[in-house]
Amino acid sequence: MRKQAGYVLAATLAIGLIATASIGAAQAQDKTIKIGGLLPMSGPGAYFGAQDKQGVELALEQLNKSGVNGYKFAVQYEDSACSPLPASQAAKRLIDQYKPDIIIGEECSDATLAIMPIIEQAKVPLLNAGSSALKITDPGNPWTFRIMPNEVMQGVDIATQAYNKLNARTAVLLNETTNAGIGNAKVFKDTFEKLGGKVVAEIGFGRDINDFTSIATRVAGLGKVDVIPTYTLEGQGLKITQALAQAGVVKGGGGPAIQLGTIWLPFGFEQKAGKAATGYVRIVQFDPTDQRDMVKDFVAAFKAKFNADPTHLHAHAYDQIMLIADVVKRGATDAQSIRDTLAATKDFKGVTGSVEFDKTNQNIKMDTIHYMETKPDLSWNALKWN
Amino acid sequence: MRSSGTRQVTATIVAQQAINGIVLGSLYVLVALGLTLIYGVLVQINFAHADFVTLGAFAAYFFMHLFGGSYLASIGVALVVGAVLGWLINVSIFAPLRHKGSELLPLIATIGVSVMMQNAMLSLFGPVPYAFETPYSQQVFRVAGTFFTAQSIIIIAVSIATIALLYAFMKFTFLGKALRAVAQDRETAGLMGINPSYLIMLTIVISSALAGMAGAMLAPVLVLTPFAGTSVIVKAFAIVIIGGFGNVEGTILAGLLVGLIESFTTQYLDPGLIDIVVFGLLLLMLAFRPTGLISERREENV
Amino acid sequence: MSDAAAPSATAYRTSSRRIGFLVAALAIAVLPLVLGGSYWHTNLTVCAINVLLALGLDFILGYAGQLNLGQSAFYGLGAYVSTLLITKLGVPFWGAFAAGVAFAGLAGMILALFAVRLRGHYLAIASLGLAVIIHQILLNWISLTQGPLGIYAIPPPPAIAIPGLPRVDFRNPIALFYLVAGFALLTYFILDQLVRSPIGETLTAIREDEISAASLGINAAAWKVFAFGVGAAVGGAAGCFYATFVGTLVPDAFFITESFTILSMVIVGGMGTLIGPVWGAILLTLLPELLRDVGDLRLVVYGLALTLVVLFMPGGLVQAARLVRAKLGLLRERAP
Repeated sequence: MRKQAGYVLAATLAIGLIATASIGAAQAQDKTIKIGGLLPMSGPGAYFGAQDKQGVELALEQLNKSGVNGYKFAVQYEDSACSPLPASQAAKRLIDQYKPDIIIGEECSDATLAIMPIIEQAKVPLLNAGSSALKITDPGNPWTFRIMPNEVMQGVDIATQAYNKLNARTAVLLNETTNAGIGNAKVFKDTFEKLGGKVVAEIGFGRDINDFTSIATRVAGLGKVDVIPTYTLEGQGLKITQALAQAGVVKGGGGPAIQLGTIWLPFGFEQKAGKAATGYVRIVQFDPTDQRDMVKDFVAAFKAKFNADPTHLHAHAYDQIMLIADVVKRGATDAQSIRDTLAATKDFKGVTGSVEFDKTNQNIKMDTIHYMETKPDLSWNALKWN
Repeated sequence: MRSSGTRQVTATIVAQQAINGIVLGSLYVLVALGLTLIYGVLVQINFAHADFVTLGAFAAYFFMHLFGGSYLASIGVALVVGAVLGWLINVSIFAPLRHKGSELLPLIATIGVSVMMQNAMLSLFGPVPYAFETPYSQQVFRVAGTFFTAQSIIIIAVSIATIALLYAFMKFTFLGKALRAVAQDRETAGLMGINPSYLIMLTIVISSALAGMAGAMLAPVLVLTPFAGTSVIVKAFAIVIIGGFGNVEGTILAGLLVGLIESFTTQYLDPGLIDIVVFGLLLLMLAFRPTGLISERREENV
Repeated sequence: MSDAAAPSATAYRTSSRRIGFLVAALAIAVLPLVLGGSYWHTNLTVCAINVLLALGLDFILGYAGQLNLGQSAFYGLGAYVSTLLITKLGVPFWGAFAAGVAFAGLAGMILALFAVRLRGHYLAIASLGLAVIIHQILLNWISLTQGPLGIYAIPPPPAIAIPGLPRVDFRNPIALFYLVAGFALLTYFILDQLVRSPIGETLTAIREDEISAASLGINAAAWKVFAFGVGAAVGGAAGCFYATFVGTLVPDAFFITESFTILSMVIVGGMGTLIGPVWGAILLTLLPELLRDVGDLRLVVYGLALTLVVLFMPGGLVQAARLVRAKLGLLRERAP
């Protein structure tokens, strides 16, 4: 009897020791990097937030299988609504209540500009992948980082390509009257005119404009137009493209003009716009036909998890998380060290391209700019211009 | 209109923008008609009217996409949805508050309903714009240098038919005449054996049905989100005032006028100035001729 | 009995009023210390700004009886005028503040010119039209206002350094809250005095029956202009504080839906009283924040509150409070 009791006791002790050891190990494993997600989940930019979230979820799922340097990653989202005041309040709430080590966001330039002073005061780094306004990095903000090419990088490139590769000599600018819209249009105009092209008209419109038939009519009445750079969110973008096709201006409607765009219209736009989108040429930060293994794996994993094709929004968000993981791998553990390690990034490879930050924390690698043309069957043809 | 090597003839541009303006204006008329009818009979404004338009649009959308209905049938569905909403708002707000005699409280209540509806739709449908495509909005006709879609033809046809029917109803049927009687003088009409409450309900139901139907036709044109109504309602108010509260002919004129203002301001000025021009006109009217372009009502207690 | 009762009833009301102010001042002083963190400081300051807006509208709507749907315009004018003076012309803060308030008040008086000839629905729509136009001007006159590009990095009011006293730096959010809330309390006090003076009676007479008021020799037009001027000026002050508090100014903050929100606050609180809109503003500012976890449905609450109040309790929270106090037998008999 005593012997049996002894065995039971020993066994219990052993189990207890093993259990404690593994709990101890698990707790040592339980260090978490807290990531704040300031994304638009309501308002006209809500599709940005919805897609970003999916990209983030995929990255987290992959990373948290084994963690990085003993750290796991967690994300808390707050709705910034693509607009300065809600974004400011969301940022304050996030910082106060969640105390993140790093924040990713926002998408819309107006909102990003508004939250930058807040994160700077709180000394939390901001990693941005969606806003194009120059002043986000140009003045030199030590706490704000951007992996996406800014409006100057994109604008100069697309205007040059339009002039050279598309032989465009006349352009009509269509843009929403926001920071990003106006900024992008200006860069295109300046570059295009310096090359010798002519901007025949610039038509700005507010987010409340619904009917684009009149605008399309006006464009049609301007005579020969080669390219129509368009800077607007998806809702209005759809209507513009369709109206331009109805007016017979763009290729999709039997006309000669080509619409140009940048990252605002994700894949899926064509399916909604229909034939009207034929011939659309856009810059994307993500080329799904990219042959690199990393991209192929990403596409496959995304398809498996979400049963859909990833867009550049998904890819951006994925890269942001992966970059954070890379920073942790290089030894960062808290907000300050994350900031410093980020600034030193020289050769990170993401699915959207490479990342190297210059001294204003802007990513200067141009392999993030890919060009796509919409084919008549609404799929994308990668134009290897870069 | 093709942009070939030559500039388009001014006449063609003007003609095209006139077409655009009339199509848009017809839609605005349908929305504003409901408002003006309600005002004529009830001396009340339904602030949620434009949200009926939005909900009608969504009803049409889901009818087509969830039940595979045809577009034309979905217009009918939107009409019914609008009618039901009208009945609901009468029963819950206008009728109960009628006894209190305040002219402001029902207006404020309908503001509340409008806010509720918009945010309820936001929760249900989300903020992402819906792409409402119909086979008619893709079919383009080109005539003498101008273009229009089959959708525009439907819009004009339905608007004309509706207005004609409404006119006939008001002028030739007993109910229609009774309605006009109630609008003129409710007490006397009541004394003559007409039941004002029933007629008021009928008016609101018809008006809201018009709004719903307008939604189904606006949906392919508008960017369809729960807030689509806001952009329409302010213009609808302007139209009702410019045309004259309670005045059907005035509303039609004013609606077409606003549509034309919109297209021509876009052509010759800037899309951003549309609201300023329309509301500048509104304020001018209010300053100098508050009863509207064609005034039928005496200028009493405006 | 009655002689002795009358003065004591008035004295009661006066002293209870004084106690009320003291309690309010105390609450303002203590709240930001109890509710810590920049999240709550933000909320409290937004409350104070909304209180100002509601008070302004209430003066026009509740006391003068004019349905003004254009309060958002005065809010925006105050914000933009003061900010542009500061950022473009280097005008010192308080000078710009005064200019913003004056400009808004002037705009209010211009709207009042419409109010003079129009009533009810027509005035409502005219005021809405003004709000749309002002918003569109702010949005489209980009060379002046920056439009949707926004004005960033707006500085807080300059610090107050009086020798012998500790320096008050308004970059401290608590200090900024004290400033705005203190101003709101002061405004309340002034409006309260106005309302209880013969001016208040005049306005009420106009509200109840304009024709009879005219027969008493009251110049309704002039008083309407006065009411609009005051209400708009208060709204303009709220705008000046808003700009300096948020630090970022975009025209969309002054879209017409803002007018409806302010209207909701006044009605839910209790139009025609001064304390009502204060409670309405506080409730409708904090409620969506507290309900944040419920998601999008929390905004439905605004509309629901407004509709239910109008249908069942048009006097708002103030009426509800009276009913509760009556039920509990706490309502003191008013002296004859």
